[in-house]
Amino acid sequence: MARLSSAAPERAGRRLPRPAPGAVVAAGIAALLAGGFAALFSAAGEGSALKELGPYLARVLGFSLAQAAVSTVLSLALGAALALALARRRFPGRSLVLSALGAAAAMPAIVVVFALVAVYGRGGFLQEALRALGFEPDFRIFGWPGILLAHTLLNAPFVARAYLDALAEVPAEHWRLAETLGLDARQTARHIDWPVLRAEFAPLASLVFLLCFTSFAIVLNLGGGGGRATLEVAIYEALKTDLDFARAAWLGLVQVALCTTVALTLHRILERPPAALTARLAVPRPDAGHPWLRAFDVGVLALAGLLVLPPLAAVLAGLPHLPRLLDADLAVALATSLVLAVVSALAACLMAVALAESARRPGASAIYGLIPATVLAVPPFALTAGLFLLVRRFADPALAGLVLLPLMNALAALPFAYRFVAPAMTTTAERYGRLASLLGLRGWTRLVLVDGPALRRPLAAAFTLAMALSFGDFGIVALFGGSELRTLPYLLYERLGAYRLDEAGGIALLLVALSLALAYASARLTHARR
Amino acid sequence: MLAVDDCRLAYPDFEARYTLHVPQGALCAVVGPSGGGKTTLLHMIAGFERPQGGTLRFAGQDLAGLRPSERPLAMIFQDHNLFPHLTARQNVALGVRPTLRLQEAEWSRVAEALRAVDMAALSERLPGDMSGGQRQRVALARALVTAKPLLLLDEPFGALDPGLRQDMIGWVDRLRRERGMTVLLTIHTPDDVAGVADRVAFVADGQVLAEGPAAAVLEPGRDRRIAAFLGRGAGAA
Repeated sequence: MARLSSAAPERAGRRLPRPAPGAVVAAGIAALLAGGFAALFSAAGEGSALKELGPYLARVLGFSLAQAAVSTVLSLALGAALALALARRRFPGRSLVLSALGAAAAMPAIVVVFALVAVYGRGGFLQEALRALGFEPDFRIFGWPGILLAHTLLNAPFVARAYLDALAEVPAEHWRLAETLGLDARQTARHIDWPVLRAEFAPLASLVFLLCFTSFAIVLNLGGGGGRATLEVAIYEALKTDLDFARAAWLGLVQVALCTTVALTLHRILERPPAALTARLAVPRPDAGHPWLRAFDVGVLALAGLLVLPPLAAVLAGLPHLPRLLDADLAVALATSLVLAVVSALAACLMAVALAESARRPGASAIYGLIPATVLAVPPFALTAGLFLLVRRFADPALAGLVLLPLMNALAALPFAYRFVAPAMTTTAERYGRLASLLGLRGWTRLVLVDGPALRRPLAAAFTLAMALSFGDFGIVALFGGSELRTLPYLLYERLGAYRLDEAGGIALLLVALSLALAYASARLTHARR
Repeated sequence: MLAVDDCRLAYPDFEARYTLHVPQGALCAVVGPSGGGKTTLLHMIAGFERPQGGTLRFAGQDLAGLRPSERPLAMIFQDHNLFPHLTARQNVALGVRPTLRLQEAEWSRVAEALRAVDMAALSERLPGDMSGGQRQRVALARALVTAKPLLLLDEPFGALDPGLRQDMIGWVDRLRRERGMTVLLTIHTPDDVAGVADRVAFVADGQVLAEGPAAAVLEPGRDRRIAAFLGRGAGAA
């Protein structure tokens, strides 16, 4: 009897097991997705709405696909050539070039918009200089040139860094083998470089394509009207300008379908270890002395310099205008951005740890590991549109923004945070899992004692990266932003729209400096871990 | 003869000074503690490291000014000897002609080299579909088709289990006897080459401390570093 009664509470306890933290996060994300898309469905109404949208949707889709395809080709071609040139050459200032590439890749999209307008716009440095020399330039940055230039400026350096990392992974033995076998420049390209470039092509191309396909800030500001809108811009216009919620809903659903297809390809990328600073090549490349390659590399580096340096200079030119900007608007926007970034990063890291903790339970890794990839497949703008439709029934959209903005930014950063955290937690489970079980370490105690030391760096890297992503984001805030809710990117957008380029320059510099500091901290933390 | 005479290398944290003589057609096992300079010695002979002094000759030919591909040698590393996108046959063919545009007779040589290491049946396999031992045999086949008289092996069988390691060393010994090759082989456990190596060179602190028949070189009383390497440091001290 006594034995039975003592066992009873234990059994009762077992009847109500505590849910896995990952399951709670998964349920929360599922509820958000369901709520958002239910709202989209409900607003979309009957099927005829989609039919009416036919020609418009076809035009938007056609433009989205075309600009994304051309931008991807340009970014990959220049990025690959740049990576090869940097892999082959050692020159004074090479690390500065790498830093400039990192800076260009980490620039918030709205800053890129400002930089291109400041250099190539009607009142920009270049056109002013040409006029001073007696020319009458007839170049318009708005439209295709601006979109392609901005996408290439953002993505080619990113591609170059990724390819450079991949080339640095070529075993030193292969270079020595190339030397003993006497491979010439063409054979080196065929047997060493090309297999590396080819292996990275599909994941990089799909990632760049997805980024360009869902591009918002660049197309909104540099599209120049005339029907040049991506699906993201079209959703924004439907919600904010035309108040056509049915159109926004259908566009959102179309984007979900398309992005899910691309994200399935991207799932492979999430399984890879996080990219970090480029490792130094252990051995010099034997093809570095080839005269044609030398000329080619110099040409590529010059082209990259022409692409990257003027916009960076335009941002730096904002320095003298900084003191004039120090007003209440800037202080509030800066504080709002920082608070939102911290909250977003915290939420992203907590979700990533919860999912990674649950993913290492037997048989659960496939389910929980897929959730961040699923979030990546759902375009945050479409989901935000759904939640916006839902929330506006109950609350002021601007106030709702204060809750939805960090939440959506956290979701957008979740795949990246998970990529940092999950491998570290899997490793500790493999190494110390049995020992922890033997010692009865569970839950919070296990997280602090066993995972804590291994998680410190990846978590810090994930936090800073999530902060950087949230801090520079101009997408979701465009929907909620206004006098009540103004972040730094939104303030830049306002100043740009009012043609107050000097002030925009100062804000852009501040934005870039803080985003870069965060991205740099994240890269350093990742690098140290490796 | 392979003659390394007072070849010096200097790095910020390491200095090496080698003198070593290996008779033509001999198999010389290079042993010694990790970080002692065994691989650096092989890299210097192969041409990956340029000595700042001394002379380096093989069969009377001065190797000092030659690029790695011009030297009369082939080299096999512990890993990554094969290009992963090429089949076994193509990897071997690289040793004949890097363009991979081979004449009929040259493809026959490739096939013959693969037969010599018992890999003919797997000639169309990619390295990823082979075991570690099979990959090293393909690398050995490529060394054979280059028909270079000096073969450098840098711990090539370190990742293999003991039985397979013995098999591989047996392959190397048989092939070098058939073809009259001189072989320099770095290895962790001297027992692996007992009865196969004609000579042993003990390398530590960037120097060849002793060279000669195994029994004479691996004598704990000879040097405290040799004693420590053999695990008899306390007795020797």
